[in-house]
Formats: sequence, C-alpha cells, structure tokens
Amino acid sequence: MIELRHVRKEFGDVVPLQDINVTINDGDVISIIGPSGTGKSTLLRCINMLIEPTSGQIIVDGQDITEPGCDLNEIRKKVGMVFQSFNLFGHLTVIENIMNPQITLLGRSRQEAYDKAMYLLQQVGLVTKVFSYPDELSGGQQQRIAIARTLAMDPDIILFDEPTSALDPSMIGEVQSVIKLLAKTGRTMMIVTHEMDFARKISNRILFMHDGVIYEEGAPKQIFEHPQKEETRRFIQRLSSLTYRITSTDFDVEATNEELQAYGEKLLIEAERLSKLSMALEEICINNIAAYSDTPDIFVKVEYSEKLDTLTMDIRYNGEPFKAAESESKLFQLLLQEPTTTYTESELENDPDGFSRRIKISFGWVEE
Amino acid sequence: MRRISNIAKKALLAVLILLLPVCLFAADSPDAETAEEYTPEFKTIEDLNGKKIAVQTGVLYEELIKDRIPDTEFKYFTMPNDMIQALRSGKVSAYLVEEVGFGVQKANHPELDRLEEVAGYIDASCIIGNNDKQATLLAQLNEFIRDSRANGLLDWLYDYWIADFDPVNDTCDIGNFTGENGIINVAVEGGYEPFSFVSNGRLAGFDVDFVCRFCRAYGYTPNFSEIPFDAIAPGVETGKFDIGMNIVISEERNETGTLSDIYYTCPVLVIILGEDTSELNFFQRIANSFFKTFIREDRWKLFLQGIGVTLVITILSIIIGTAVGFGAFMLCRHGRVIPNKITGFFLWLVHGMPTVLLLMILYYIIFGSSRLDGMWISIIGFSLIFACSVFEMLRVGTNAVGRGQYEASTALGYSDNQSFFRIILPQAAGHFLPLYRNEIVTLIKETAVVGYISVLDLTRISDLVRSRTYEAFFPLILTAIMYFIIAAILTRVVSRVEIRIDPRRRPQEKILAGIRQID
Repeated sequence: MIELRHVRKEFGDVVPLQDINVTINDGDVISIIGPSGTGKSTLLRCINMLIEPTSGQIIVDGQDITEPGCDLNEIRKKVGMVFQSFNLFGHLTVIENIMNPQITLLGRSRQEAYDKAMYLLQQVGLVTKVFSYPDELSGGQQQRIAIARTLAMDPDIILFDEPTSALDPSMIGEVQSVIKLLAKTGRTMMIVTHEMDFARKISNRILFMHDGVIYEEGAPKQIFEHPQKEETRRFIQRLSSLTYRITSTDFDVEATNEELQAYGEKLLIEAERLSKLSMALEEICINNIAAYSDTPDIFVKVEYSEKLDTLTMDIRYNGEPFKAAESESKLFQLLLQEPTTTYTESELENDPDGFSRRIKISFGWVEE
Repeated sequence: MRRISNIAKKALLAVLILLLPVCLFAADSPDAETAEEYTPEFKTIEDLNGKKIAVQTGVLYEELIKDRIPDTEFKYFTMPNDMIQALRSGKVSAYLVEEVGFGVQKANHPELDRLEEVAGYIDASCIIGNNDKQATLLAQLNEFIRDSRANGLLDWLYDYWIADFDPVNDTCDIGNFTGENGIINVAVEGGYEPFSFVSNGRLAGFDVDFVCRFCRAYGYTPNFSEIPFDAIAPGVETGKFDIGMNIVISEERNETGTLSDIYYTCPVLVIILGEDTSELNFFQRIANSFFKTFIREDRWKLFLQGIGVTLVITILSIIIGTAVGFGAFMLCRHGRVIPNKITGFFLWLVHGMPTVLLLMILYYIIFGSSRLDGMWISIIGFSLIFACSVFEMLRVGTNAVGRGQYEASTALGYSDNQSFFRIILPQAAGHFLPLYRNEIVTLIKETAVVGYISVLDLTRISDLVRSRTYEAFFPLILTAIMYFIIAAILTRVVSRVEIRIDPRRRPQEKILAGIRQID
C-alpha cells in the first residue's frame, strides 16, 4: 500500500504538484489522465523518488520514503518503472538487460536470472531476441523488453510513464496488450497515459489531474461517462474553446481566421468546416449585427467536441436582432440548408453576462 | 576494404619519407656544378644594409652594428646551426657569431666566409641568481676571475677551448668535487660550441670547464642544467639557478641581473656565404651526415636517452593525468560547488595558456625554490594538461549517454556508483576513447617543448646534436620518425583497449558463459 499525503513539488516558480493526497491499494490499476503539463509524470516520479517532493509524505509499506535516512535503493527495487523512452541499457544485450539487475541488485545466481529472463521473454513474445542490442529492435519490442526487465525484479507496484507515447501507432497495440495481461493478473499498477480507451479498459480507478491537484477521482465509468466537475467534463469531451468579443465592424477577421486555422490543426478539424464557420461568423456578426447596431457587443465562443464530432459557434449579443431568413448572402443561405448544419436563434433571460440574444450554429461531419 | 586502404596509407607514407631526403638534398646543392670565378657579394658591413641578418636570440649582437645599417631586419634564431641553415637556404644574407664559434662552423661548412671587418667586441660575464647565495657567490666569482686572470688560467682556457679548439678530443673534468659548501645550480646553453656542448655524451666546453674549476676552488658541487639562452635570464632572476653562464654585457642586462666581472672578450664576426670548396657528392654527403649524427661520439646513445625521457614523460603524464582527471570528474559529478569551482579554475587556467609558458611558470615560479628537476616538473605540467583533457572528455562522454539511462538504473535500484560504473561509464567509453587517443597524440607532440626547462628529451637532444654537427637533416628526420613511432605505439594500445571493452564485440558464448540454456 502506498499513501501520498500533501505532496507538493516546486521547480522554482513552477509548481507542478500543488497538494496531492492519494492512497494506492494493493491490486489497484490506476490510470492518471489529464491535460499536458499538469504534473502527471512528476507525480509518478515522486513515488519512486526520481523526483524528490518539496514537501509532503510518501508512505510505502508503512515507511516514509521522504525521510532523509530512508534507503531509497531498497524501495526502488520494489517499485518498478517503465519509461516513455524505454531506456534499455544500450551497451547490453536483451538478455543482459533483464539478467544484470537481478544479479546485481537481488543477488540471484546467473542461472536463476537467466531462467527468469527467458520466462519473461516468452511472456512478452520476444524469445528470439536474446542476443539483440536495444537499437536493433523496434520501439514496441524495446518497450516489451523494458516491461520484462521491470517484471524480473518482482516489484510490488509498476509505474508506467506514458508507455506508448513514443511509439508508432502500429506498435501501440502490442505494448498495450502486454500491459492489459498484467492488469488481469492482479498486479498493482499506475499508468500515466493519453490513451483514454486503454485507460478505461484496464483500470479500476482513474485520477484526473488538473493544475497540480487530483481534480477528480473515480471509477472509469464515472469519470468517462458522468464526470462531476466542469474541467473533467471539458477534458473528457475534449471541449476546448476559442472566444472573441466583437464591439465594432473593424474586427480583425483575418487574425481570427488564422487562429481558427491553428485551432483546427490542433484538433484535426477539416479546413472546409473551419471556413464554413468563419463565413458564418463574418456574415452574422460583422455584416449584420455589428453593421446595424450603434454599440454592438457580441460574445463568440467556438467549441469542438471530439466525441460528438461537431464544431459549434455560440454567439451571445446585445444589439439589433439578427434573423437568418433576412440575410442577403446566398452562400450563407446555402450553408443553413445543408443537412449537417444546425441553427437556432433564441432570446436570453438572466444571462450571467447580461446578453439578451443568442445564436447557436453547429457543423457536423460531412460524409464524402 | 579497410585493410586495403590501410596498406595504401602506409605505402604512401613510406614513399613520402623516402622522397623527403632527396628533395632536401636536391634543394641543398644548387651550387654543385657552378664552379665559376667567385666574387663575394658583400665586402663591408654597410653592403648588408637592407638585407636580412640572423642573430642568436638573447645574445644582443645586433646592438653592435644596427646603427650602421638602419634598414636591416634582424632575424632571431635559437641555435647557431639554424642560422647556418638559414644562410645556406637564402633566408638571410649574413649572420653574426663570435669568432670562436666560427672556427668550428667553418670546419663543418667550408662554404661559409667572413667579412674582414669585425662587427665589434663582446664581453661575457656570469649572471648570479637572485637568491640568498647571491652576495657570496658574486664575491667569490669575481675573486676567482681576478685570480685566474692573474695566474694565466683564463688565457690558458681561451687557448685550449677557443684558439686551439679540437671539437672531437677536447674534454674537461666535470667530477672530483669536494662539495663541502653545497650544490650550486648552473645554467648553460648546452648547444653552444665551444662554450658548452655535449661531447661523447658528457658536458664540456669553456663555460663548463670554467665553472668546474671555480667550484673545485670554492668547495661547491655544480649541478648543470642545459637550457636555451633565452630561458637562462628568467631562471636566474627567479633564483632557480645560482649562476647563468655566458651573458653578454649590455646596458639593459645590467639593470635586470647581478653580473660578475668579464671572463672573456671576443670579436663578433659577420658571416656570409662564400665559395663552396667541398667536393663530396650526394651520397657521400648522406653517409657523412649519418656518421656525424649517429656514430661519432656514440651519439645514438644520446638519442636513445632522449627517447627514454620523452616516453617517461608521456606515459607517466597519461597515467597520472587520467587518474587525476577521473578523480576530479568523480568529485564534480554531482555538481558540488567547491570541487567544481576548483576544477573550473584549473580548466580555465590550463586551457588558456601555451604549454611552454605553463611549464616555465611551474619550473621557475611555482616550483622555483624546490629541487624537483625539470623532468618531474614536466610530468606535473603535462599531467595537469592531460587531466584537464580527460575531465572534459568524461564530461562530454557521459553527457552523450542519455539521462534516461541514469533514470532507468536508479529506478531499478542501482546505487549512484553502481549506475555510474555499470551503466553510464561503459557507454560513455565508446564516446570518449577516440578523443582520448587524439589527446595522447597531441600530448606526445607537446612534450617537445620540455627543453625549455632543461629536460633533455628527444627534441632537445636532436637540437644539441645538430648544434655540434651542423647537420639538419638526419637529426630532424629521425626525430620526426621517432615521434611517429611513439604515437603509433601508444594509439595502438588505446585502440586495443577500445576494441576490448566494446561490448558489441563480445562473443555470444561469453555473454551467457556458465549458463544452461533452454532452447
């Protein structure tokens, strides 16, 4: 059992871990998810003290490993770690990579170490690579060897630090299936990953990290289907948004388009859909609302949901009401008639930001 | 493919080495066939105005004539022999030398000629070291010079070593000291016939004879150091040497050191190229040159001795330097402040300084008052230089091993030292051993400057032999070849190590030695 109490880590002004409290029970398979730069890897590295926390306690089997007198090398033998970049020892063959730590650190005989290594190589399906050097293997094979190396030490817990992020998509599967197999055998594991499906399938607990804290925790079903908190929901739905405030017709449409382009590239949205959105934005906001109002105030929010695969533009405004039917733009009319476009106009009451009208337009995936 | 290119390389090298003497000698004898009527180009010193004239560094003979030939450029050479070569190859039109030296030079090079007119006269004295013996020694030396002039010893020495000099058979007694008043350190040029030179493997000459007689009279034992003229003055000034011999008196010199009375006076001549009267052909010249360089006076023994010194300095510096560099690296590895500051300071100091300066500073200043001889100072200096290189190599080598390797071994439970020695170092070795090999070659070549601190290494021996034989070819080529061979042997050793420790060259059986394998 591992317990983290008020763990905090600072690198100068940056605080990747604010205040982490979590208990890892034997047999847990925990996935840590969350946006980049929220301290997921830092948290994992604190557990085997590769990164020393600034404050807080980490208790492994009743022993506080942040105490100065603690024999960290002994703890680390019980805490295995698999790295994003595999980190196999480049000067050693596959078999030595698995045997040498057992001999040096656990005092096993060469024969014992060899037998164990061969057994594990069978498990990960790489018995034929005994005398290969790491750089002769594919990324997926290297990662499987790295897992075997960790397993050979008979650790109590295995920490996986983004084990598939550095792999070609074609190799992710082979590594994931090895990890899945381990999860089934009841090993305690902790995995930092960006593969949501994978996390969902293998774990019994999900930690969602945000801004250096465990923002939400729960069973996979809860986190992925009914997230309780806003940030979790956004992350799960991959809802991230762009916002604009338009107060005159001088609004820089060019700059907006560039920003949309970048946003689209990040989320892999096709350029066609983005240009539709940009055209709608210009027609509704600039050519109509702003053009006909003395003091226009328009708030635009663009959101993309990966899960629903829709690109939505939410426009709230004060000023002359816009009626789609009255638009003189032929292109805009055509756009509204497309089956993948949904368009609604409504009046707002009690809007927290004080807007009185809303237009929502969303673009779905167009089948070729 | 690789083997073929190696053979080709060696063959090319051999051809080059064989061609070199031919080229040199061909260039050397353009005048062999032109036996026309000879008229000297220069008759007076004024004829040389605007030409280049060679002078030995540190002797200041140019002061004697420079007012008469204002447009002349003086070229400075370390050894008289180099001036002769410069004159023969047309790099200078004349050189200045004392009458005594010319006698020997003319015997070896009959094509040399002198102007009738004498450039001037020089007075030579001894310079007394700047230490607590100074006052006593000065008084004793002056007294000895006075007495020797009175009883005719100085005249006898002048006749023996200068007027009737026999370069092969003349010798002097450099033993039989009572030494009850201690040891005095004497700096002589060593390559400056007939004042101080190596004959039959032993030091001899006017200066040497004079000092030995002085020491016997006053109960000292002399300890001679042979160093280039221009290094004598700083050595005496720092008190490293008690007496420096053969210092030409000038106004400027009087200010910097304490000089004794004059112990000889001698005319300075202007030497030009005259008629070549030698009748030796090309092969006779080679044979003659070879005989003079190696066989006469058993000079090959000197060369052996020089090789030994060069080897000892190089090998000890490599061993000590590697150990020190490695130790420093281990101390600095974790970024501890004090070792890093100290190492950083040494790196900055050693890398920023020419080797010869570092050695001279060590010899004259830092170890100025210690009795460590020049060879040990060289070993200290080169160990320091090599340690700095080793430190840098290790830093580059270990940095080239990714941080992930260290993280992985730590995460497995390897201790810090286990990680370093079992995981990092074996991989770093592949990165730094090629650099290490290059540094060794550099080191071997750099040791050639140790002559400046009175070490008789291969280069300095070759200089001394050249100064006696007035032959450039064999000593230079042989020295070059010796350096090649030393470098080849040492780099071969490192290459062997490189191959031996390369993990990828291990046979598979060895990897799983002693294990029952399952198939």
